Amino acid sequence: MSGGSSLVPWLRSRWVIVPGAMIVFTLGWLAYVNSHNHGLVEGRVVDATGKPVPGAAVQLFERGFVTHQERGRTTTDAEGVFRFTDNRSHSIQLEAEAPGLGRSNRHILRLWFAAQDAKLAEPLRFPAPK
Amino acid sequence: MSGHGGWWGRRRNRQLALIVCFLLPSLIVFFLYRLLPLGWNVILSFQAWSPLKPAVWIGLEHYAEMWTYDDTFWIALKNTLIFIAASPLAIAAALGVALLVNSDLKGATVYRTIVFLSYPLMAVAVGIIWRWMYDERGGIINFALRSSGLIAKPIGFLQDFSWALPSVIVAEVWQMIGFYMIILLTGLQSIPQNLYEAARIDGAPAVARFFRITLPMLRPSLFLCVVVGILNSFSSFDLVYIMTNGGPGHATELLITHIYKSAFEQTKFDYAAALTVVQFALLLLLTVAANKGAGGNAGAVERD
Amino acid sequence: MSRQSPLALSLRHLTLVVISFAMLVPFYWVIKTAITNENIYAYPPGILPRDPHLFNFVDVWYLIPFPRYLLNSIIVSAIAVIGNVVFNAMAGYALTRQFTGRRAVLALFLSCMLIPFQATIIPAYLITAKMGLLNTYFGLAFPMLSTIVCIFVFKAAFEAVPKSLIDAARIDGLTEWRIIVRVLLPLSKPAIATNVILTFIWSWNNFLWPLLITRDPNMQTLPLGLARFLSYMEDTTGALYAFAVMVLAPSILVFLMAQKEFIRGLTSGATKG
Repeated sequence: MSGGSSLVPWLRSRWVIVPGAMIVFTLGWLAYVNSHNHGLVEGRVVDATGKPVPGAAVQLFERGFVTHQERGRTTTDAEGVFRFTDNRSHSIQLEAEAPGLGRSNRHILRLWFAAQDAKLAEPLRFPAPK
Repeated sequence: MSGHGGWWGRRRNRQLALIVCFLLPSLIVFFLYRLLPLGWNVILSFQAWSPLKPAVWIGLEHYAEMWTYDDTFWIALKNTLIFIAASPLAIAAALGVALLVNSDLKGATVYRTIVFLSYPLMAVAVGIIWRWMYDERGGIINFALRSSGLIAKPIGFLQDFSWALPSVIVAEVWQMIGFYMIILLTGLQSIPQNLYEAARIDGAPAVARFFRITLPMLRPSLFLCVVVGILNSFSSFDLVYIMTNGGPGHATELLITHIYKSAFEQTKFDYAAALTVVQFALLLLLTVAANKGAGGNAGAVERD
Repeated sequence: MSRQSPLALSLRHLTLVVISFAMLVPFYWVIKTAITNENIYAYPPGILPRDPHLFNFVDVWYLIPFPRYLLNSIIVSAIAVIGNVVFNAMAGYALTRQFTGRRAVLALFLSCMLIPFQATIIPAYLITAKMGLLNTYFGLAFPMLSTIVCIFVFKAAFEAVPKSLIDAARIDGLTEWRIIVRVLLPLSKPAIATNVILTFIWSWNNFLWPLLITRDPNMQTLPLGLARFLSYMEDTTGALYAFAVMVLAPSILVFLMAQKEFIRGLTSGATKG
């Protein structure tokens, strides 16, 4: 009954491996979540030609049980970049508005967990003027 | 506990005390949740009682009401009997699968696992899955029937008066068939192989071997399956509640859903107790009948 | 078994494949719906999922108190499993001993097996209310604290332990307790596994009992949460099916890991509940 020889078959039991793997995965996931849940949402706003739009108002909608509600508002800087720092939802929509350009498309952003830090891969784009 | 030499000192008494202590928790659970409720049900069924009124003895009034006025009771009784009558079909199908899987067939364990997989599932989730399969717009069953040209218009299986009960029964069979198969498989494996050898030497054809050896030897397992099928008229509450909640109208009302609604939605606890007594009596009657049919001593399965 | 012709053998496989396929369709359909996008009513429904994604599962976690339901389910199952194993092992052990009234207790247990839990709901509810256990974890787990089938599983396991081993332990001066803990229980691991699995699955899936005795949304378990979600949303969203998948996953996992023990429990004369 030396420690090593009796421990190995015990460790190989599926009743140790499966729950163990689940616990390790959960802890890893929690660690990842806790270091990436500052609620940052970053993105760019461009016009139809792809030029950055400074000073555009960007709205953030948060998903409720069946509807979406406005939760935040910010404006883009000189490079057309906007930044929310207090998103707490896991499913949001973003929309930009600028005088003379109208409204951009509504961008749906679904996150893996609430307040996940996210950077839009695609900029919010205004439609071409008619 | 008066130390050495006293009552506690005697080994026999000490062991008896140990045994009593060991049995006590289980006995308390069974007393509180099996025996006492059974007796209380019977008493309550002869009383007029509701949580705020004192009990009054009224004899058979509830039963008379059930017999003469309660149409839902008769519908529920009929549906419950249909529900129970469907279980032999499921058992026959399960026997077919068990015969196919029993033997040194390659991959038999895989087939067995797949057929059995639906049994340990939560009935609420199973109900939701089947609701969705039966759905008029997006359900796969309507889709399959329509695209194969069998029907022109989609059928709302769970909304249709004549389709609803068979549809629920199909879902129930889907969940139970694996259980029946496992019980029958265990029965098949306990049949001594030399019986078959002897029959083969005698030149008995396969069909005769099945009816002369397999079926008679399977009797205890079949009896167990039938009893579970009867009990299922009680335990299918979850599935029916989720899939149709007794509707449309009372098309899928079972006695157990009628009991639940009477007691917990209309707070007629006393009347619901009378309904329970009737269903329990029905269950005992059918079980005894099944036992007779299986040759009288089939309860022995549970005893070994 | 007789040797079969290749034709008969392939026919057999074909039949079994068709049956397996029919049994698996509901699983496929619910998973497919759980990972497809919002409009699940499009006709014809796609056989393969279009743009599959897992965000429905994220929605379930945050839009409804799923973590709370999960916690409640885990706590109730844990109480039920631990109590069940301990009490059943004790009762099973007691039944292996000779004592006056043993036959009566056995007969009592056997007759209790014939009483389905659903037939006791009204008085069971009233009794639980009298004890003040409505809306409590203990009240939820109480009726599941002992299972007759598992008592008999334990009894059989203890009886299978060689008598000489127990006698030897007794000669060594081990007390009754130590014999149980050191000799009997380690040799009855399969019985313990069977009991744990059966109780976990029964408790995890239990719907009627929590439905009766929990009014407080904070005490509701997963099956109740699922039923509630269904009544809010009807069949309109992939999230409902994601919920169903999340609830089914643990029992399927446990079942696949311990099929042998599960089957042993059922075939030792089992009926549900």
